[in-house]
Amino acid sequence: MTSFGNFVEIFLQALTAGILLGAIYGLMCVGLGIIFGVMRVINFAQGEFLMLGMYFTFYVVAAFNLLWFLGPAVGPYTGALLAGPALFAAGYALHRFLVSRVTGISVAGTEGEGHYAQLILTLGVSLVLQNGGLILFGSTPVSVRTPLSARAWEIPLLYDANAALFLNKARAVAGILSVMVAVALYWLVNRTRLGKTLRAAADNAAAALYMGIDVDRAYRIAFGIGIGVTAIAGGLVATYNPFQPYIGLDFVIIMYAGVVLGGMGSILGAFWGGMTIGLVQQLSTLVLPTQLQNAAIFVVFLLIVMVRPQGLFGRATERI
Amino acid sequence: MLTVESLTVAYGGLTALCEISLVVRQGQFVSMVGPNGAGKTTLFKAISGTVQASAGRIRFEDTDLLAVAPSERAHFGIAHVPEGRQVFGSMTVMENLEMGGYPQTGRRDWKRNLDRIFSLFPVLAERRAQAAGTLSGGEQQMLAIGRGIASSPRLLMLDEPSMGLAPMVADLIFERIGELHRDGLAILLVEQRVAEAVQSCDFGYVLEAGRVVLAGTHRTLLADDRIRSVYLGL
Amino acid sequence: MRAQCKLIAPLLAIAIVAMAWIAVGMLVTNSYYQLMLTLVPIWAVMGLSWNLLSGYTGLISFGHAAFFGLGAYTVTIALVGFDVTPWLGIPLGMMVGTVAGIVIGYPTFRLRGHYFALAMLAYPMALLYVFEWLGYQEVPLPMKREAPGFYMQFSDYRVYIALAVGLLVISLLISLAIERSRFGMSLLAIKQNEPAAEAAGIDTLAWKMRAIMLSGALAAAAGGLYAVVLLVVTPESVFGMLTSAQALIVALFGGAGTLWGAPIGAAILIPLSETLQAQLGDVIPGIQGVVFGFAIILVVLLAPEGIFWRVRDRFHRTRAARKVPAMAMAPRVAFGKTAPVPPPPERTPILTVSGLSKSFGGLRAVTDASFEVGEGEILGIIGPNGAGKTTLFNLLNGFLPPDTGKVVFAGRELAGLKPNRICRLGIGRTFQVVRAFPRMSVLHNVVVGAYATTTNDADAFAAAREALAQVGLAGRSEAAAAGLTNKELRLMELGRALAGRPRLLLMDEPLAGLASQEIEALLDVIRSLAKGRITVVIIEHTMRAMMRLAERFIVLDHGRVLAIGVPDAIVSDEGVIEAYLGKKWASIRAHG
Repeated sequence: MTSFGNFVEIFLQALTAGILLGAIYGLMCVGLGIIFGVMRVINFAQGEFLMLGMYFTFYVVAAFNLLWFLGPAVGPYTGALLAGPALFAAGYALHRFLVSRVTGISVAGTEGEGHYAQLILTLGVSLVLQNGGLILFGSTPVSVRTPLSARAWEIPLLYDANAALFLNKARAVAGILSVMVAVALYWLVNRTRLGKTLRAAADNAAAALYMGIDVDRAYRIAFGIGIGVTAIAGGLVATYNPFQPYIGLDFVIIMYAGVVLGGMGSILGAFWGGMTIGLVQQLSTLVLPTQLQNAAIFVVFLLIVMVRPQGLFGRATERI
Repeated sequence: MLTVESLTVAYGGLTALCEISLVVRQGQFVSMVGPNGAGKTTLFKAISGTVQASAGRIRFEDTDLLAVAPSERAHFGIAHVPEGRQVFGSMTVMENLEMGGYPQTGRRDWKRNLDRIFSLFPVLAERRAQAAGTLSGGEQQMLAIGRGIASSPRLLMLDEPSMGLAPMVADLIFERIGELHRDGLAILLVEQRVAEAVQSCDFGYVLEAGRVVLAGTHRTLLADDRIRSVYLGL
Repeated sequence: MRAQCKLIAPLLAIAIVAMAWIAVGMLVTNSYYQLMLTLVPIWAVMGLSWNLLSGYTGLISFGHAAFFGLGAYTVTIALVGFDVTPWLGIPLGMMVGTVAGIVIGYPTFRLRGHYFALAMLAYPMALLYVFEWLGYQEVPLPMKREAPGFYMQFSDYRVYIALAVGLLVISLLISLAIERSRFGMSLLAIKQNEPAAEAAGIDTLAWKMRAIMLSGALAAAAGGLYAVVLLVVTPESVFGMLTSAQALIVALFGGAGTLWGAPIGAAILIPLSETLQAQLGDVIPGIQGVVFGFAIILVVLLAPEGIFWRVRDRFHRTRAARKVPAMAMAPRVAFGKTAPVPPPPERTPILTVSGLSKSFGGLRAVTDASFEVGEGEILGIIGPNGAGKTTLFNLLNGFLPPDTGKVVFAGRELAGLKPNRICRLGIGRTFQVVRAFPRMSVLHNVVVGAYATTTNDADAFAAAREALAQVGLAGRSEAAAAGLTNKELRLMELGRALAGRPRLLLMDEPLAGLASQEIEALLDVIRSLAKGRITVVIIEHTMRAMMRLAERFIVLDHGRVLAIGVPDAIVSDEGVIEAYLGKKWASIRAHG
């Protein structure tokens, strides 16, 4: 095989890995996109809910084996999906009791529109969850093992009989499920009445109030959905990646970078933003050593925020 | 139908409204005019609940509105078309109208209301799939009014519908509002443009600096020179 | 901040605390407590450094660990790689911190609010990965037995305590100097209302840069000393999230924007968390983070301004905000003809606007505006809601660049200049919403406006007093701004603009919401300004008052200049009547 052919194979491998990873990143970004992009609420603890989604899946599937009847292949993914509703409740409660005090009409006139308080409050929540997680779960990395994580589909590349693309089954399934959840969410937000009331409340709270929409409840639900979706993404990541309680921090920048890249206010944009970040990360393995890949993402984030803050899909009138 | 008694709204040391009283009867068209800063929008906000009343009462039919949560008030049959349109810019025309039809009464009469809205404002039917933020000012105003009607209200409150609109478009809007009134809808209109407001109304109030300074039927008001002085300070 | 600079009290306090701390340190023999007594001042310095940037300017930084880590690694690498003693290494680290402040600050200050905080988060994390990649997983500082003192290594721990306290004293003195000078005042003004500060002549970017440079230096010093004390540096321990969080929480807990906030916060939180870590760290790892997390949540919800302010306000309850009496609406002036304003004298134009236009997307906010403002006149800008009046002011002030057109002020072209430059040239502005420093005196609120045109503080305060006399608030100069009535607040806002000795004053709706008598008082003040040769341009809606004040009017409608002229002409102008009352009105009145 020629070295060019070699390169193409490596490139395609990275590309495919990037797409699969990007799908999962896209899902987590959609979760944050609902909260940050649409509601304009800063949630610094988003990464921790990702982590909680991972641990939820772990405990349900691996530790307590509650889904034994679904078998070792289906169980973990179901667990991941179940993390959604479970953490929706947590997110709803978080908003109801804490976040609502630093958002919305009550802080609309204050300095910085309450962003300062949101940042600090959710930083506190993040610290509590991170370290609480350390206490409860211990610091040893765990993972949710599925028989799929060791197997891969082999897709022969047409131009050379010896070249092939290896799709890790676990990652592939995770990626596909991510897309499906994202699509389901898109349908929920755009086609159902509930979704429309959420969008209305986020678009113009006062006008929504005039329509008779319970804006406070809408905010809580939206926040809860955002958390739940990110938790599902976490659960899916858990199926092929080991994790420990501090893992949330690694993903916070990824999520914010994805949402900002995709453009504020656009859930679809958030998905594509996450996808892009995933691609960038995987493709950067071709040129950068491992430790610098994450640094590369930070650089990308900084560039986006400074050069094109409205992102790919955002409206140009977005003032930073 | 709607009775406002001695309503006072004060916040941050400023008294926006001082002991305002007004009445809107069934099927009546009531106008409120006055210069900027007179407190007209504050009155609407107090009725809708986005601003707290410091004293006084608001009754709608037999309900004490001040005891009802803001998000509930729309369900009683009061539609508020806010100042500056306030459409949901990121949603389509159709979705905006659907939101207007959110209350129970709106859902019940949805088909009928939609037909009515489209016959009053055909341009909305044309642009039903367009994002509301991309509509022109006049179209947005029509959408906001359509949204208000979609809830099958018994009272329609309009806050400065002509603001920022070209005169011809404003005229069209006022015509349609008149039509709605002729169909039996009670209207409470707030306007800076006196003529349109006063000409079409059954009864009118003039507000200045948070107080009612003039009140009367539309004939009485039209004949009164004092309106001009209220606006232009003579 | 109390009224005039009483330096003795804080200096004495610093001296006492320092000496007491060292004294306690001398007495303690348990090495664990000795470490604690060293760490508290170090974290207090870190908190003070965070406070310098974020506490005073309001721009929340989540990334001070970047400076801390750079300081720590500078000292470490200097010692390990080049055998340079920390006595030199720490100052070197401070220089690195300053440079880092410039490099990080310049691009990041273009961002607002949450984007700033998120971006700041990225820097230490990126550095963390970079340092790990460079191979600095865990670097112990080598023992230098030949000349320990030379290398800042002491067997007696108490020396470290003294060093830490020394650094704390330096930091406190720096913070004190800043707080009491125009540096601190300018930063606070930026936090309070950045556009207003810009319009008052404060070069906001320059001050923010100075703040982050100094902040970076101090944080780096703290990091350097930390490395010396702990003798081992890992990327996680210095660049990690907990470090940035600790800086933030220590300052916030005690009270952001104050001198003693960070030390108080450090004195309470560090021993607490370290003890918890020591006692329970084996059993419950991460207890430190949980405690800090809860502390942050509680502070934000219950005492968002920190413990310092809570306590101080309690002690100063009598001087705290008086309940402003609900405004009684004074009886209105009866209908009737008012005395006409005499025709305006001939005036030389001081401001010439030609062809000014501005659009936002498809919306034409201002179209082809052209007019002149004569020196010493009172000009009113009126028009229906949404006519573009405030946009016009923003164009004149430099907040918005015009799409086309020219603005010439006293012979100088203004287009493209930043607002603080325009202020220095002699244009002042008041804003509709007055945001004061509630706990500071009226004089201190006003003096910020004098910084642009004075070089030293004595002149600035003199100009401020003059301004207060001009508006009639001289008697209230020492009162806390929180207790002012609405009228007094408006006058104070006017005073702030006047302190810059402007030649032209732009006033945006100064009369909104005032009662009749209060309006009269303000009108008198404005008239006296005009007599003093200050040109006044006012946006207002209260026509009744404006008719008695303005010599000329410009009427805007839909972004265009509809009419310019004396009051009598304007109110009989058909176009104007149409704009305000509607076309039909004019025709109805004409035809009866």
